[in-house]
Amino acid sequence: MSTILLVEDNEMNRDMLTRRLQKKGFNVLVATDGVQGHTFACAAIPDLILMDISLPEMNGWEVTRLLKSNQATRHIPIIALTAHALASDREKAFEAGCDDYDTKPLDFVRLMGKIETLLVVKKT
Amino acid sequence: MKLQNLSIKRKLMLITMLTSTVALLLFSASFLFYDLISFRHFLSQDLATQAEIIGYNSAAAMAFKDEAAASVTLTALKAKEDITAAILYTPDGKAFTRYVRANLVDPSLNGNQPRFEGIRFRDSHLEVVHAVSLNGEPVGTLFLQSDMSQWYSRAKRYAIFLLVFMLGSDLLALLIASKLQTLISGPILRLEDTMHMVSAQKNYEVRALKFYDDEIGRLIDGFNTMLSEIQQGDSALQSANDALKAQTLELESEILQRKQAQDELLSAKRTAEDASRAKSSFLANMSHELRTPLNAIIGYSEMIEEEIQDTGKFENVQDVKKIQSAGKHLLSLINDVLDLSKIEAGKMGLHLESFDVAQMVQEMVSTFQPTITKNSNTLQVNLAQDLGLMRADVTKVRQILFNLMSNACKFTNNGTVSLDVQRTTKGDREWLKFQVKDTGIGISAEQQKNLFKEFVQADASISRKYGGTGLGLAISYRFAQLMGGHFTAESEPGKGSTFTVHLPSKVSADVVEAVKAKENNGPLAEAPKPATQADTILVIDDDPAVRDLMFRHLVKSGFHVVVAADGEEGLKIAKRIQPRIITLDVLMPGIDGWEVLRRIKADPELAETPVIMVTIVDNEIMGLNLGSSNYVMKPVDRTLLTDLIEKHRKARPSSSSDVPVAV
Repeated sequence: MSTILLVEDNEMNRDMLTRRLQKKGFNVLVATDGVQGHTFACAAIPDLILMDISLPEMNGWEVTRLLKSNQATRHIPIIALTAHALASDREKAFEAGCDDYDTKPLDFVRLMGKIETLLVVKKT
Repeated sequence: MKLQNLSIKRKLMLITMLTSTVALLLFSASFLFYDLISFRHFLSQDLATQAEIIGYNSAAAMAFKDEAAASVTLTALKAKEDITAAILYTPDGKAFTRYVRANLVDPSLNGNQPRFEGIRFRDSHLEVVHAVSLNGEPVGTLFLQSDMSQWYSRAKRYAIFLLVFMLGSDLLALLIASKLQTLISGPILRLEDTMHMVSAQKNYEVRALKFYDDEIGRLIDGFNTMLSEIQQGDSALQSANDALKAQTLELESEILQRKQAQDELLSAKRTAEDASRAKSSFLANMSHELRTPLNAIIGYSEMIEEEIQDTGKFENVQDVKKIQSAGKHLLSLINDVLDLSKIEAGKMGLHLESFDVAQMVQEMVSTFQPTITKNSNTLQVNLAQDLGLMRADVTKVRQILFNLMSNACKFTNNGTVSLDVQRTTKGDREWLKFQVKDTGIGISAEQQKNLFKEFVQADASISRKYGGTGLGLAISYRFAQLMGGHFTAESEPGKGSTFTVHLPSKVSADVVEAVKAKENNGPLAEAPKPATQADTILVIDDDPAVRDLMFRHLVKSGFHVVVAADGEEGLKIAKRIQPRIITLDVLMPGIDGWEVLRRIKADPELAETPVIMVTIVDNEIMGLNLGSSNYVMKPVDRTLLTDLIEKHRKARPSSSSDVPVAV
């Protein structure tokens, strides 16, 4: 069973995603702010991270950069979740080192597709 | 106290007094001196006479050696106070009898007869030695001594007198001098005062008083002349100064005005910037704030639906689905409103990237399927072979297409919706043409007028019947405009509608600016080109022979020709005269033809001018890629050149490419 770390500060979004992911068979860890997200990622080494961008304490870009520059966590695929749909956000995401990116409101089916792609890639 | 630095007054007085004192002293001294000498002479004569008399009186006594009688005679000398001693000597030189004035002790008198005759002065005494004789026979010698006291007292008197006199006359001289020195010093001191006053008060109207017509008077005249010259100069200076002051004041007030204007502008700018920032931040926040709860509504309702599916209680599925659809509708409304707000606020930017057109359309087709099948429509997609790559904002292109497609599907029942994509060349530019046709209810002429306006759907009932926000077309229209393209719509009520979007195959960022400017004139405004440049051809070539040749040939063909010898000049001229066509030599010194071509294409004013490359270099592809309208090899085939020019002239009519709503 794969573990996904969800870093999201909005309670409802967190709740929805957690339950739906759990229904799909994932083990879900939650962090409610950037610093916590970073700590949990380093401690638990999840199989995938879903990173909301607008987080308190430290924003998603920063956490991504930190994790990607850390030898121990570099390999973890990160999908950035953002409410903004500007192309510049997409660029920023890839610049920070994200492996993929999705926009809110989330299309759960679309998101699942991205998650599965990344987990498959990771295995191979 | 140095004498030279004494005041004139003192100097003058000193000089006067010194002169008079010296003169007086010399005179008095010599006079008195002369007098005293005479007196001394007189005294000595007098004593000599006395000696004679006494000698005569004592002659008998001497002859008879009558000491007593002789002594009496001598004693009579007591009456003369100045006689200090009288001694009678016998012919052998011994003292016979003597008289010495009372209380006088003089050892020198105790000797023998002094060895002189006559008168002599010794030790401040006058002495006379006189031979006494009786009837011609010497009987002895008389020695008479006087202390000259008369002389001394006279001298003393004279001295005192002299002193007093000198003092008195000095005083008098002082008085007179002090009165008369003002003749000299007065004017000078007045002049000095005047000078002080002038320099202290800077008052050049004052004039020094002239007293007498002497050297000082002339000095004063000179001084006054100088003063009037200074006065003139000074008043000229003053008026220049005043003028300067007045000007400075004017300038200062102007500067103040400018500063105020500048401050106002700055604060207006800051206000505008603040407003702009507020708008951006509002849009960003609203975007986030509005979407978050909607996300929850849609997400949870999806979850409920899934759970219902799992539990099998299908009766509630419809209710949940309704929540979902309302949520989704609300979301698309919010997205549209936010998009429009952004466009209105001028905050909608373009993110350009190159993508494969055919691939993009294929990917989108699947998203149309639900809407197609909803109204039992059939979808036809026709993609030309040569679509290739497009450089544009892919998200916006997708949005436009989706909007057109969903409109077509919405308003068609049991009909056909077709999407045609082609690549075309208009003028010298390449365009992608997207056409969406439907066999739906169509749009009446009346409705077509409001087609691209916000918030106006064809009919209020339509929104109820067909859904939608009424904003989709307006947004698509604006998006197309932003990218430099244009929209047309054709329709026949009952038969169907055709919507056509032309987008440049290479959207450039500065098209946005050009389009915005046009927007202000209204979408139907066309900028007519002035008649004078209708047939102007600009020839850019560094070879004078070629230039000449082209010039003559083109003029003969009826064109107005302007030549330029290098790229820089050519660009400047092009900007100025906006020629109809530009012929461009590739190999040129300075900036070469490719660079010139690039710059022409980069300039919104010139980008649409057809450019014909004239060169010996065979590089057609590079030329076309950069946007050259065509390409001619040297040596120039005249007919070919003319044909090309004609072709371009006709191909691009004299109207700007904009969006009239054709019916």
